[in-house]
Amino acid sequence: MSLTDLESYELLHAPSLAALVALVADRHASGLHTVLLAGGTDWLVEQESRPPLPSGVEHPVVLDVSRMPELRALEVVSGEGGDRLRVGAAVTYLELRRSAVVGERAPLLARMAADVGALQIQARGTIGGNLATASPAADGVAALAALDADVLVESVRGRRTIPFSALQTGYKTSTRAPDEVLVAVEIALPSRGAPFVWRKVAARRAQAISKVALAGVAEVEDGRVTRFGVGMASVAPVTARLPTVRALALSRPIAEIDAASVDRAVEADVSPIDDVRSTRDYRLHCAKALVRAWLRQLGARG
Amino acid sequence: MKVTLTVNGSHRELDVPPLMRLIDALRGPLGLTGTKEGCAEGECGACTVLLDGDPVCSCLVPVGQCAGRSVTTVEGLGSIDHLAPLQRMFVDHGGAQCGICTPGMLVAAEALLRRTPKPTEAEIREGLAGNLCRCTGYQRIVESVKAAAELRGDRGEGAA
Ligand SMILES: Cc1cc2nc3c(=O)[nH]c(=O)nc-3n(C[C@H](O)[C@H](O)[C@H](O)COP(=O)(O)OP(=O)(O)OC[C@H]3O[C@@H](n4cnc5c(N)ncnc54)[C@H](O)[C@@H]3O)c2cc1C
Ligand code: FES
Ligand code: FES
Repeated sequence: MSLTDLESYELLHAPSLAALVALVADRHASGLHTVLLAGGTDWLVEQESRPPLPSGVEHPVVLDVSRMPELRALEVVSGEGGDRLRVGAAVTYLELRRSAVVGERAPLLARMAADVGALQIQARGTIGGNLATASPAADGVAALAALDADVLVESVRGRRTIPFSALQTGYKTSTRAPDEVLVAVEIALPSRGAPFVWRKVAARRAQAISKVALAGVAEVEDGRVTRFGVGMASVAPVTARLPTVRALALSRPIAEIDAASVDRAVEADVSPIDDVRSTRDYRLHCAKALVRAWLRQLGARG
Repeated sequence: MKVTLTVNGSHRELDVPPLMRLIDALRGPLGLTGTKEGCAEGECGACTVLLDGDPVCSCLVPVGQCAGRSVTTVEGLGSIDHLAPLQRMFVDHGGAQCGICTPGMLVAAEALLRRTPKPTEAEIREGLAGNLCRCTGYQRIVESVKAAAELRGDRGEGAA
């Protein structure tokens, strides 16, 4: 445990997002490390297991972002392309579960949030922290992948939007620059009542990291899928967007999609591994079974 | 760093390192040793306290993030001489054995009963899913919470 050196760290609250990004940029330019602290459910656990800092090494500055108003949005924004839901980076899972608008318009997010850790983790853990840690097992990120979220980041160079499909580049790496702060995610809201799926396979319901998790959202018109998003946790070095499965779902009337082609598509899209939580074979089996069940829910054969 | 917060209804001012864990501030300078530490990584729930009414693991909360907020620990539920009905039911129904998990169980159950005065068994199990017990096998804990819900319902003590 390295908790003793933690007590010599500073904890700062930036007065505004502009001040926050300026401070992060300044320190980054001088090669100094800054920690953005939201719910601490990833960062503090990491502090427990790291070795103590060597003497003489400057301690990072910790900036509390958990209550920064600019990061706390949870609202529907109406625009030309239809209604969009904005979820601030510092919004917690419990807030997602309790939000009426999320429950009504983006129930996938509420359903996913109910399966993260247990209440104690849901009350603290945030969407921004889940995205920044960027574990391929992250449940929140799988849901954001399914919803094709846009990720809003800000730095001294200004604000920009990273489409989810352009975010992840490899195991825990992304196109977000080190001095870019996550501000919010935005999703194009599915039509009311649109079918969705959240399935998490884990050792038990609470406090368990996904062996495999599937998030999905779809719109179906006249037997054809017109919107289809999926995200899968723990089957690849990044959150899997399953492009072959997406293309298959959109390619023909849903009733013409058969189990064998679904299995082939899943196999093309995932590269699971053996690790402490599961095996490659079991993960592949689950991945196929979950996607087949989801497509059957939408009207596919077998 | 000076941190002012409300603990069990009383205004408290601390001079502590901001990244000191809330559990260490409670058990140290605040002298509230009811809150227990099990795993120190958010898994076991022994350290559960309420932060602005919601259950959190005090092993994963830096005290500096509690400034201006309200913390409730097991000591805030009742005392040895005046056990709260919830605590009394844990005694009567065998919900506590070694007692290490009990403060966290009580606080998590309190959070549940405030929001859901008449929980189903499934709701009780979900409300306590973040709290591990190595002694009781959980059944008696669930029964204790059920009994407390009935008692509170009778007395009109449901939602706080
Ligand atoms: C017991 C337990 C169970 C868990 N169960 C699950 C689970 O079931 N599913 C799951 O997906 N995860 C789980 N987690 C992991 C964790 O709770 C989530 O990843 C959570 O979303 C992290 O959010 P946080 O706010 O606590 O992050 P923090 O720990 O505060 O931060 C994590 C990282 O994100 C960075 N960061 C935070 N906010 C920003 C921002 N705005 N901009 C840029 N960087 C930022 C921080 O600097 C840090 O590097 C669990 C953790 C624990 C301890
Ligand atoms: S000691 Fe905090 S959750 Fe185990
Ligand atoms: S009573 Fe011993 S751990 Fe629960």
